[in-house]
Amino acid sequence: MVHRLFPLTLLLLAAAALLTADPPSRVAIRDARVYTVSGPVLEKATVLIKDGLIEAVGENVPIPVGVTVIDGTGLNVYPGLIDALSTWGIAELAAPVPPAGGARGGAQPAPAIPAPATPATPQQPQPRARGPEDRPNTFTWVKAADLVKPSDRRIETARSAGFTTAVTFPRQGILAGHGAVINLAGENGGDMVVDPAVGLYTTLTTGGFANFPGSLMGAMAYLRQIWIDAAYYRAAKEAYAKDPVAIVRPSYDRALEGLLETHRLLIPAFSRVQIERMLRFGAEFKTPFVLYGGQEAFRTADQLKKAGVPVILNVKWPAKERESDPEEIPSLRTLQLRDKAPTTPAVLAAAGVPFAISSEGLDTPKDMLKALKKSIDVGLKPADAIRALTLSAAEIYGVASRLGSIDKGKIANLTVVKGDLFDEKSKVEMVFIDGKKYLPAPEAPAPPRPTGATPAGEAQ
Amino acid sequence: MIALRILLIAAAACGLALAQQTAPQPIVLQNATIHTVTKGTFSGSIVIRNGMIAEVGDKVLAPMGAKIIDLSGKHITPGLIDCHTHIALVSTNEGSVSVSSMVAMRDVIDPEDPAIFRDLAGGTTTANLLHGSANAIGGLNVVIKMRWGSDADGLVMKEAKPGIKFALGENPKRAGQGAQSPFGGNAQTPRYPGTRMGVEDVIREAFLEARQYQASWKDYETRRARGENVLAPRRNMKLDPLVEVLEGKRLVHAHCYRADEILMLLRVAEEFGFKIATLQHALEGYKVAKEIKAHGAGVSTFSDWWSYKIEAYDAIPYNAALLTKKGVLTSLNSDDAGGADVSTRLNTEAAKTIKYGGLSADEALALVTINPARQLGIDQYVGSIEAGKQADIVVYDKDPLSIYSKVEKVFIDGRQYFDRDEDLLARPRREADKKGLLEKEKAAEKADAPQKRRPS
Amino acid sequence: MKQLLLASLFAVVAFAAAPEGGSFLLKNVTVHPVSGPKLDGASVLVLDGKIAEVGAKVTPPKTKIRIIDGKGLHVWPGMINSGSMVGLSEIGSIRETNDTGELGTFVPQLRPIVALNPDSEHIPVVRANGITMTALLPAGAGGGGRGGGNVQMIGGQISLAHLAGWTWEEMEVRRSAGMHLRYPAISPVSFDPMTFSTTRGNYPNSKRQHDQEIQELTSFFDDARSYWTAKKAALPVKTDLKFEALIPVLEGKTPLIAFASHEREIREVIEFADKQQVKLVLAGVRKPGAALETIAKKKIPVILGRTQTGVDEEDDPYDEPYALPAKLYAAGVKFCFATFDAEFARNLPYQASQGVPYGLPYDEALRAVTLNAAEIWGIDKEYGSIEAGKVADLVLTDGDLLEVKTDVKMVFIRGNEADLETRHTRLYKKYLARP
Repeated sequence: MVHRLFPLTLLLLAAAALLTADPPSRVAIRDARVYTVSGPVLEKATVLIKDGLIEAVGENVPIPVGVTVIDGTGLNVYPGLIDALSTWGIAELAAPVPPAGGARGGAQPAPAIPAPATPATPQQPQPRARGPEDRPNTFTWVKAADLVKPSDRRIETARSAGFTTAVTFPRQGILAGHGAVINLAGENGGDMVVDPAVGLYTTLTTGGFANFPGSLMGAMAYLRQIWIDAAYYRAAKEAYAKDPVAIVRPSYDRALEGLLETHRLLIPAFSRVQIERMLRFGAEFKTPFVLYGGQEAFRTADQLKKAGVPVILNVKWPAKERESDPEEIPSLRTLQLRDKAPTTPAVLAAAGVPFAISSEGLDTPKDMLKALKKSIDVGLKPADAIRALTLSAAEIYGVASRLGSIDKGKIANLTVVKGDLFDEKSKVEMVFIDGKKYLPAPEAPAPPRPTGATPAGEAQ
Repeated sequence: MIALRILLIAAAACGLALAQQTAPQPIVLQNATIHTVTKGTFSGSIVIRNGMIAEVGDKVLAPMGAKIIDLSGKHITPGLIDCHTHIALVSTNEGSVSVSSMVAMRDVIDPEDPAIFRDLAGGTTTANLLHGSANAIGGLNVVIKMRWGSDADGLVMKEAKPGIKFALGENPKRAGQGAQSPFGGNAQTPRYPGTRMGVEDVIREAFLEARQYQASWKDYETRRARGENVLAPRRNMKLDPLVEVLEGKRLVHAHCYRADEILMLLRVAEEFGFKIATLQHALEGYKVAKEIKAHGAGVSTFSDWWSYKIEAYDAIPYNAALLTKKGVLTSLNSDDAGGADVSTRLNTEAAKTIKYGGLSADEALALVTINPARQLGIDQYVGSIEAGKQADIVVYDKDPLSIYSKVEKVFIDGRQYFDRDEDLLARPRREADKKGLLEKEKAAEKADAPQKRRPS
Repeated sequence: MKQLLLASLFAVVAFAAAPEGGSFLLKNVTVHPVSGPKLDGASVLVLDGKIAEVGAKVTPPKTKIRIIDGKGLHVWPGMINSGSMVGLSEIGSIRETNDTGELGTFVPQLRPIVALNPDSEHIPVVRANGITMTALLPAGAGGGGRGGGNVQMIGGQISLAHLAGWTWEEMEVRRSAGMHLRYPAISPVSFDPMTFSTTRGNYPNSKRQHDQEIQELTSFFDDARSYWTAKKAALPVKTDLKFEALIPVLEGKTPLIAFASHEREIREVIEFADKQQVKLVLAGVRKPGAALETIAKKKIPVILGRTQTGVDEEDDPYDEPYALPAKLYAAGVKFCFATFDAEFARNLPYQASQGVPYGLPYDEALRAVTLNAAEIWGIDKEYGSIEAGKVADLVLTDGDLLEVKTDVKMVFIRGNEADLETRHTRLYKKYLARP
């Protein structure tokens, strides 16, 4: 029996649908320079978007009727830029923390290399761990996919800088949890997720003398033991399933459950010594792994190539601290690192080591492009830089069939720039995420300059 | 046919040339005073071939194509061996727990630590990198050679027998004493043990657990052999090394000071059927030399440290000499941490035993060469200048036991890793490199500086 | 009348406190006077604690005294450790056994001699290696000390003491020979004992703290000067022991012994001393850099710490600490040595000889632990060399005093033979004899 008010309701719903009309599901960008990344640059091409996917791309693509057309003359179109190691989307991890310069709490102290900026998380007071059996500082069941929300303000800033995608990870703990590939737009967190579990983030942070593990070697020993425990747990569960009478029921362990889901590890390594250490260590787990940090990788390209291990680069190039002792002369190693770190992308590209770029430690997403510009100035091919921001990131995380290049069938994530991507004066015109267009947020107007007296501090 | 023959000859010639290129050039160290340590001191020469000491004698046969280094007036000793140090390590202590046998120093080697080079420049060629003394049972050691320039793997002396660190006395019980301790633990959660009796307990409990673990594996293997469907026990990385100790496959190096705790450990080891390989520091070792000798342990001690802790108050500089006189295998160590210090002067540290206790020159030198080699189970490879051993050799300009001597050259595995003259030449080059980089940075800073704008 | 009696009583007491000097004739030795070339087959005549005669032929004494046949041994001036905590610090890690590092930032009125334990086990141990005198430090190079006090800037006076005597009065050579100063350094590098690594701290904060401490130091000197001025003007001033202690410094009589290890603070403390018009001695110099020239030009003496240490900075040459004494010598700087501690104080001679293979002439090394030290402390009229008229602090050895293997056979302090038995020799003999 249909209610009396049913037609009215229907009408109202239709009206509501019209008012909140979805953006056009078919868009064409015409006559733009298109960097497909998977193929050559197309000087004057068209990209056709339908239902959130790339329907076609090419120099002679016919544009059907009823498609919204965007004139791409003078514009560059890139695959949507990807932050390959991020916390975007997890608002609680937004507060920046100055890099842990010291040994206490730092992962692997090395005087020449700055430690990665680990965002502060509200730490629950942990009971004192007595050993690996207490699963100290372990959060393998935590998934970024469960934590991301479109309300994180950094998302808009990232989009405005041309980013469409981030690989976002939880950060608290030695085993911090699983990261997700997310698009930087959506009505709710679930909409954003492209792949909910792409890797387990490890930090090897230590608790000093107060808590196990209190040292780097303790953290490494812990990882080994928990891996053994997970394998044992799996074997025990299988045996129990086969014979619940003879075999003792294994105790449910969420840390181990989370570990068993892992099909990729992220391991920190900045300096040459750390990279060599982690190449040796990572291989023990017989699971694909990726190193993040990598600022001294310019010295270890051959080892990385031989091991087949990709690198997520921290591009906050080491530099002299702003307020440093004027009479202090840094060590030769420090000076060499500062000098050569920006050459890392070019060295890795030449050696054939896959690498992608992280926003880690930077103030704004735009700084990623700035940092790559510096590398381009010292020899990185712009095409390699673009690839690192797009297809390489997708390949490293196993989502290259969906993202990373402008190819038919892939998700319509695009970055449209007036000017060259790495030119400071360029402007991001718009980005497309899942085929929807987003404009950059308007920049805050500069405060008016005071007239008359010279502002204090200005050199005369 | 002739063409083929020519081809074959040509190929052979190429092969020979290549072989000569890849095989290291033999070296003859000529006409020095050689302190072999085990076979007397005499004037003579050494032939180094393929990284080994091929010949030692007052006259040697120089191989064809050998590089001859004339060392008239100089002195040669075996590379010095430091039986206890913490250089070249990123971590020293896993001090959060009293038994940390699951951690390994091999994991945290820092091959770029300048201390390695400084040890080398002081004549030290091999070192036993140990876990710190924060725990009754510490982590696994690693023995390295100072092959400066190698990566971590290249430093490891693979022939060395695996070892583990124990610690007795004040250090491992400090965290049990609450807030005062710099070794952590805090007033709320002190870490057991807080007394020497507790230290013994921790060790006995650990080995009891290890025994049970060992038994569970034996049981599993027996059952499996019988065809039973059993789950293997879970591998426990903390207990695996302790089982190795029980099976005599892993050497125990135990930091200790007082005579009572030394005795305690010997008896605990005997209770569980294993031997202590070395008592490290053992500043009161001289008081129980008899018991140490009977047990079969060695001692690795300081030359003359004392009084910095109460347990060091009865330390005497005659310790090494007295133990030697009583038949205990004794060595001297540096216990360096946070930089190379004593380990760069093991020769003059050894010389102190001539003054304090009247050891002979060879006995003194043995304390930092063949004795620690024996203690680490590497004496068939290093520790003396004998044909068949690895060519770890130090060249001094004067008597090595004199404070007036300097190290001039150091060879490890027959390859020269240190040359003082070369180091002196390299210094201005490094300074120039630094200066260049600093200027480059300054120039870049200037270029980056934003233009100052005047207000309109 | 009563006052005169009292004064003479004090005089008698003071005289009685000085121990009697010994007398003997030491024959058949190689004498190393330090003030001149060595003399083979010579003799030394000691009368009432003073060196009466040195030479190949010595006037035999009128009264019967002990004759010691040196049997071809070597005799040297007793060595002076220009900075230690011997007798003040017994066991480093036990606070109750330590009397250095008092509470308070400026405590110039403290005299370490009164805290000297004449029965400290350290005294015979150090003496047995030929060291006859030490400068007593009230606080360490970094301020603080083992007493558990905070980090002083002025930790107290520096006393000179013989390493033999029944009481500290008998051991006292100078109650106040210098004033300790820890000159503030900007040192953002900190050492983490947990991981044995160094970390760079915050330069702006360190600089701020440094500037504040300099200000406090300057104010303190200014206040002391006002006090002194008022006193000189015979104005009524309430006696302040702290300012009283600074007067000899302001007068230029007692030197500031300023701990400054690196170029910047050396430069700054020299400027400070110039401004305050006080005498300056630098202590604990390690990396003087460009300031070395200034040190030489102004003829500022230096008390060097141990050469047998590790290297400071990553890029420093491996022999930098060993080569430092030669560097100072080449620049014309006068220096002596200190160990700045208790447990290694006996190794003083090797700090000097360690510099010899790296460029320091042997004679300079020997001078540094004897006559230079005496000159720097202003006691060279009585100490530091084997010359007639000086106090008979002598060491008899079977070889080179500065070589490690050498045995010390006899030590004389004020001409009295010192007991070379120590805690160490006693324990050694005891356990050597264990069946």
